[in-house]
Amino acid sequence: MSYVELNDIRVSYDNKTDILKDLNLSIEKGELVSLLGPSGCGKTTTLRVIAGLIEPNDGEFLVDNQNLTKVPVHKREFGMVFQSYALFPHLTIKENVAFGLKLRKEKKNSIDKKVKDILEITGLEALSDRYPKQLSGGQRQRVALARALVIEPKLLLLDEPLSNLDAKLRLSMRIEIKRIQSQLGITSVFVTHDQEECFSISDKVAVMNKGVIEQFDTPEEIYKNPKTEFVARFIGFENFFDLTPTEDWKYKAVDGTVFLSNRDWEPGKQTGTIRPDDIEIAANTTQQTTNMVSGVIKVRTFLGKSYQYEVETSIGTLIANKADDVVYQVGDAVTLSIPAHKLIIV
Amino acid sequence: MRKNISLKIFAGLVFAFLLVPLFIIIVTSFGTNSTIQFPIQGFTLDWYSKVFNNESFMDSFLLSLQVAFIATLLALVIGVPAAYSLARHKVFGRNWIKSFFLSPTIVPGLVVGYSMYQFIVIKFQFPIIQGLLLGHFLICLPYIIRVVGSTIEQLDFSIEEVSWTLGCTKLQTFIKVVLPNITSGIFASFMLAFINSFNNIPVSQFLSGPGVSMLPTSLMNYIEYNYDPSVSALSVILMLGTIVLMFVIEKTLGLASIS
Amino acid sequence: MTQRRIPYLILAPGLILLILFLVLPLISTIFPTFFNGGFTLSNYTSFFLDEYNFSIFWRTLKISLIATLICVVLGVPTAYYISQSPKKWRGLLMSITLFPLLTNSVVRSFAWITILGQDGILNNALMSMGVLSKPLTLLYTEFAIIIGSVYLFLPLMVITLVGILENIDAEIMEAAETLGANRLIAFVKVILPLSVPGIIVGSILVFTGSMTAYTTPQLLGGNRNIMLATFLYQSATALGNWQGASVIALIMIVATLIVMKLFNWVAGRMDKRGEINA
Repeated sequence: MSYVELNDIRVSYDNKTDILKDLNLSIEKGELVSLLGPSGCGKTTTLRVIAGLIEPNDGEFLVDNQNLTKVPVHKREFGMVFQSYALFPHLTIKENVAFGLKLRKEKKNSIDKKVKDILEITGLEALSDRYPKQLSGGQRQRVALARALVIEPKLLLLDEPLSNLDAKLRLSMRIEIKRIQSQLGITSVFVTHDQEECFSISDKVAVMNKGVIEQFDTPEEIYKNPKTEFVARFIGFENFFDLTPTEDWKYKAVDGTVFLSNRDWEPGKQTGTIRPDDIEIAANTTQQTTNMVSGVIKVRTFLGKSYQYEVETSIGTLIANKADDVVYQVGDAVTLSIPAHKLIIV
Repeated sequence: MRKNISLKIFAGLVFAFLLVPLFIIIVTSFGTNSTIQFPIQGFTLDWYSKVFNNESFMDSFLLSLQVAFIATLLALVIGVPAAYSLARHKVFGRNWIKSFFLSPTIVPGLVVGYSMYQFIVIKFQFPIIQGLLLGHFLICLPYIIRVVGSTIEQLDFSIEEVSWTLGCTKLQTFIKVVLPNITSGIFASFMLAFINSFNNIPVSQFLSGPGVSMLPTSLMNYIEYNYDPSVSALSVILMLGTIVLMFVIEKTLGLASIS
Repeated sequence: MTQRRIPYLILAPGLILLILFLVLPLISTIFPTFFNGGFTLSNYTSFFLDEYNFSIFWRTLKISLIATLICVVLGVPTAYYISQSPKKWRGLLMSITLFPLLTNSVVRSFAWITILGQDGILNNALMSMGVLSKPLTLLYTEFAIIIGSVYLFLPLMVITLVGILENIDAEIMEAAETLGANRLIAFVKVILPLSVPGIIVGSILVFTGSMTAYTTPQLLGGNRNIMLATFLYQSATALGNWQGASVIALIMIVATLIVMKLFNWVAGRMDKRGEINA
């Protein structure tokens, strides 16, 4: 039994279309798990079900073997960081952070101590008497985090907490969040649509699409071995081509080219995919072997450290990136090789 | 989903509080008894025909329409350019002037009517009707200044600058570019000013005399001596007018624009 | 004619009309109240020293205050409910609120005459249910004026508050709940403080409105529960006491201004958000 369990959670607003379809997710204690997906995939809904802001139509939600499905938000004792930060504009930073503790009727010196400690951890001591309006975006973000952490929550929920920050701040804040999260060893769920952010911060990632989890794995596993075409597309695989599995654990493309892959051979999977960076490009060789196709360059785009080529081949248009040591021209005939250890079958 | 039953019940009761009294008036207007009863015994439309045959009601109804219309029109003619000037020009003491234009809302209506009656009708012997028109002009002006003013402030100033660069004079620009873009604000302020003038009592209270009585004043005088369903019937007619007006506003601008 | 003068020419007609027909009339009616041979405040001191006059002044303040409090208590949750309802419902709820506001105040007071009268709907209903054996005196009481004032001004309060509450981020309420506040506590600790500016503006409208309203006390208060506005009218017409009416007129203006300043001052004290709301 994992620390957090979502079992067959179904959410529907109109009982016709499901926002979440029998969703299952297990999170171990101390892990930081990300829910990754495009907007409308149900990741925020999942987080809100966990928080208790949405009551699921079916299914159950457990933390530490306790069924919390029917427990109202305010009794769950989870900390949540909202996308808009949702700081209380009428309270100072200190009062914002102390809000949850005061509701727990803790003693004044205990509150003061806890607030002081968390403000120190989040680097906000100097701002404790200011109001949210007087703070920058990054500082508000920290206050939201401090306010959620100070109640020593069983779970920390973060709803796209970095999306309102500029690129540079986003980078430093995600390191900050990871640092604080591992320092306090707090089980966390992080919602985002940014794969880089998500991979850098998470112990495990759930890639979601249309209300279901397509893949739940470590970031490395997802990056290297996407299990479905959706996951592959979402994390940057741009080349997709049809394949037919053959008897001898190989695959055959539409033009008859034979492909090998290091991945497990499964008869049901019929699409090959590879990242543009992983395709090797070379001047045309007439000799055709396995995992090789030839084609003609249609478009060349300069990307800075490399060139991107759109190559029309007999198995479809493929995109390949190549450093600028050798530069090909539009119209050149080239051979693309797709290494067996990089070819993913989904 | 998460619902809050107690809040819903509370709000429901408040809405009932707002609507039930008006509903009762509607029902009583159809009663056959000669005094107001609820629930009613029989059904009749006699009280409505009585209202239409009551000369004092009809005269004051027409007077109210005329006064409200002329006063609002006058307020528009004077208020719209003033609102534009306050929004766009560098005027010395701008905020003071603006507060001054809005001041008729701060002075209690009864005091406005009273002092005008004293000054204009008694001291300078103006006819009452002129005092009434001017008094209602004062009621209307702040609505025009406020609503039209905020509409102009929301209008992109650069479209006026474009018009100047294309060769329009300032007056041409105001007529050809500004006015067409603030019609909704003008319309909203017209409606608001008109309905407030039409419904106003305090200002009209002093400014009435033989043959010069606004509808709300006549109705009020009638209520002091009579208690029959023709008052309900007239009320229903006025409510219908309100509904038509709200409908027109909703269809043209959305009610949100006036609240 | 130089360009610089144009704005003043545009503003002039309005300014002149306001001066001629608002300022001058006010001055000409109020100025004499300060002179009796020489400058004197005696008209005002004697107004407040007179027990009857003072009781009217006091009643006016008391009724306005109670009506304002009731409007706040009824208005805040209702406005919150409207601001939280889905868009398609909000329009309808706003119309329900606006409708009474745009209906003639005589009509609205009249409705309460039919409800509260000796032979009114409420008394008849209570007697037929056997709750009462003889009718209660509800009409022509302070209670009737209060109900009438609340009925008159509650829509203003609600509409003002909806404008403020709609702009409060919905996540703020949720944040309070995740921190352990139930709905009621979250409302009291978060939504209520944030709606203070709206409550202040609404209260100014209700308080000054009730304080200077003429229709409601005239129709629902009767002769025994006179308020400043009805007192002014009575002094001027029935009693022919123009001087006295002018004194009341100034008292009403000054009281209105003081109430506005006072509420705004309270708002300034309570609104401690570091910065003024942009």
